[in-house]
Amino acid sequence: MICPTPNAYIALLALLCKFIEAMVITLNDCLACSGCITSAESVLITQQSHEEIYRVLRNNKVVSEQKVVVVSVSPQSRASLAARYGLSSSEAGRRLTAFFKGLGVHHVFDTSFSRTFSLLESQREFVERFHRKEQDKQALPMLASACPGWICYAEKTHGEFILPYVSSTRSPQQMMGSLVKGFFAGQQGLNPQQIYHVTVMPCYDKKLEASRPDFYLEEADTREVDCVITSGEVVKMLEEEKVLLSDVEPAPLDTMFSSVCGDELLGHAGSGSGGYLHHVFTHAARQLFGEEVKELTYKTLKNKDFQEVTLERDGVVVLRFAATYGFRNIQNLVQKLKRGKSPYHFVEVMACPSGCLNGGGQVKPLPEQNNKELLQQVEDLYKEERPLVPEEDQHVAELYQSWLQSVGEERARELLHTQYHAVDKATNGLLVKW
Amino acid sequence: MKDTLALLQKFNAHPDSRCWYVAWNPKGTLLASCGGDRAIRIWGREGDSWECKTVLQDGHQRAVRKVAWSPCGNYLASASFDATTCIWKKKNDDFEVSCPQTIDQMLCDDSKIWPVRASHCLCFFQCLTVLEGHENEVKCVAWAPTGNLLATCSRDKSVWIWEVDEEDEYECVSVVNSHTQDVKHVVWHPTQELLASCSYDNNVCVYKEEDDDWECRATLEGHTSTVWGLTFDPSGQRLASCSDDRTVKIWKECQPGGGQGTDTAWKCVCTLSGFHGRTVYDIAWCPLTGALATACGDDGVRVFKEDETADPDQPVFSLSAHVPKAHSQDVNCIAWNPKEAGLLVSCSDNGEIAVWNYQSEV
Repeated sequence: MICPTPNAYIALLALLCKFIEAMVITLNDCLACSGCITSAESVLITQQSHEEIYRVLRNNKVVSEQKVVVVSVSPQSRASLAARYGLSSSEAGRRLTAFFKGLGVHHVFDTSFSRTFSLLESQREFVERFHRKEQDKQALPMLASACPGWICYAEKTHGEFILPYVSSTRSPQQMMGSLVKGFFAGQQGLNPQQIYHVTVMPCYDKKLEASRPDFYLEEADTREVDCVITSGEVVKMLEEEKVLLSDVEPAPLDTMFSSVCGDELLGHAGSGSGGYLHHVFTHAARQLFGEEVKELTYKTLKNKDFQEVTLERDGVVVLRFAATYGFRNIQNLVQKLKRGKSPYHFVEVMACPSGCLNGGGQVKPLPEQNNKELLQQVEDLYKEERPLVPEEDQHVAELYQSWLQSVGEERARELLHTQYHAVDKATNGLLVKW
Repeated sequence: MKDTLALLQKFNAHPDSRCWYVAWNPKGTLLASCGGDRAIRIWGREGDSWECKTVLQDGHQRAVRKVAWSPCGNYLASASFDATTCIWKKKNDDFEVSCPQTIDQMLCDDSKIWPVRASHCLCFFQCLTVLEGHENEVKCVAWAPTGNLLATCSRDKSVWIWEVDEEDEYECVSVVNSHTQDVKHVVWHPTQELLASCSYDNNVCVYKEEDDDWECRATLEGHTSTVWGLTFDPSGQRLASCSDDRTVKIWKECQPGGGQGTDTAWKCVCTLSGFHGRTVYDIAWCPLTGALATACGDDGVRVFKEDETADPDQPVFSLSAHVPKAHSQDVNCIAWNPKEAGLLVSCSDNGEIAVWNYQSEV
């Protein structure tokens, strides 16, 4: 390798370092620490910003080939924005719909809808794993996979050992990717490339998830999710438009891929991180043991981010589930698993302490606000959305029948599930650590 | 200076490599050393000299940077550049052996422990568990005075706090990322569950447990280069730090004026400058006499004494004893014997351990 002059080379490295440093700082709040992001990935993430969205919307006004712009909002982001602007979650939803459509967005969906698919698939996957646990020692515990921070860490730090335990079910974001660029595209007679799909998420790791090669549609040369922006980035957009969300005239909610009842958005029971433990537990209790669990009793273990739920039958524990949030608890979970000492059948794993409602991309507290109080506020607003039972969702059931069954089992599996890849540390590319 | 620092013995501890660290067991009867040869050696006194009792080999894949004894003296923790921390358990008390044949019979192959010399007293250690989690080189390990908490720090900029239960199982309690660079050293307060760490980022951080998590409660700024070592005074009221900036700083906790502030403030109440020719790599405060010893990159060992008459909020230290060429290379570590006043040990990049006797005219 020939470098121009030593000084120029150093200057270039310093510039690259600053660039990546800036990226690492914005991704600071996630589990994907400096040991995990390559410069190539940092570049992929810079391409996802609210400025990108504006560029696409501006282009739409001038170019002949317009893109259909779809924005899918997560319930956690909605709750975070609701807290900032003093609104209820559904009120925030209606105003976000109006705000985005005012900018030129065509459809605004809710990822609670796609989450119903994630919950149903997770339930089925667990029962299937439970049934083969005697033959397959890596069937259980099943580890939830909706959190990309956890997945990134698992792939890069524990590789082949941990991946068989990780649920293959797609996250709500990527389920929506399948729905929008698969079903919706087909239904509207569009090439998936003609759709620009944006999601609004509570963290930056979701940008990494959207950039995964597994979620790239080779034939159409497009990603299932083109751009992820955080709740905080939505606030930036509102500030740039010089508008308060609370002042925006509400618009009716798009019902195609949203769980709506009247003008209220519906949610799911369980944790603010998607309710995986809740839904998989209640389903397993019913399917495997004929038990109708009305209410789950959570036991806090080592710390508030480590909780346990059990099902007993004649004094014997037949199901032992846990929720482990945050790096320290994930560490302990994996180390115990490595020593063959994990007592769990299922674990809802999330990278952020307190879960997704406390994600690194959520709206930051105002100077006079206390972190804890704000988080409680966001949790309360999130829980206000009335829960919908996944098995009773007619709209979702219809899609299973009309769409998923029509494409055949293999294709349906591709649309609802994904794969993971262990990353060899040695081939981890350019890691700039100054 | 009427005070003296006399060399009692010097020996090669880690052949053809650096001796990184030395640590006395709580009883002051054994000395553990570790080095670039990836081994840990346990030394015991035989008459007037020190002899190697055991070599713990094959525990680590890279240099062992620091070792630490548990407060009960039955466990030894070792921090290595291989990113792991090993916990060794002492399998038995020292015992007498009548003849070499008996020693051979006692060697068990699966524990990979063996005495170097057929001496009278032996001690056996077994690797209990390996703590993993740090992304790269572990720079230090330290036991809390209560004995059930352990702290480690690493080049990955984090400080980890571990908890051990009755079944000798270790679990991570907290991972704190308060430093912005390589963390060089961690030390516990002598009596409270309070932890301090220092770093290549020039700062010292002080941690306390809040709710169910450990947090940095104070950041001590003042050094102008890497802070390599930390030591608390016998009462735990003051903290001494040593740095690549060639100074030693003494810090004292000052109560914030009124109110219920959870953050504490530490003030630098004394800076010892102009004494060290190069980086000060280690510092140790004698729990028995209050003397402060330093290990320096200028190959020297120094002992400082506190002026009894000075204002406690403005302490004064003077150089009491100095051996300019204590070793032929950098001195990496210095350690006071916890039971025998004046007994001091140092180790160096040249693989040597030196045993000193410090005498102070009161």
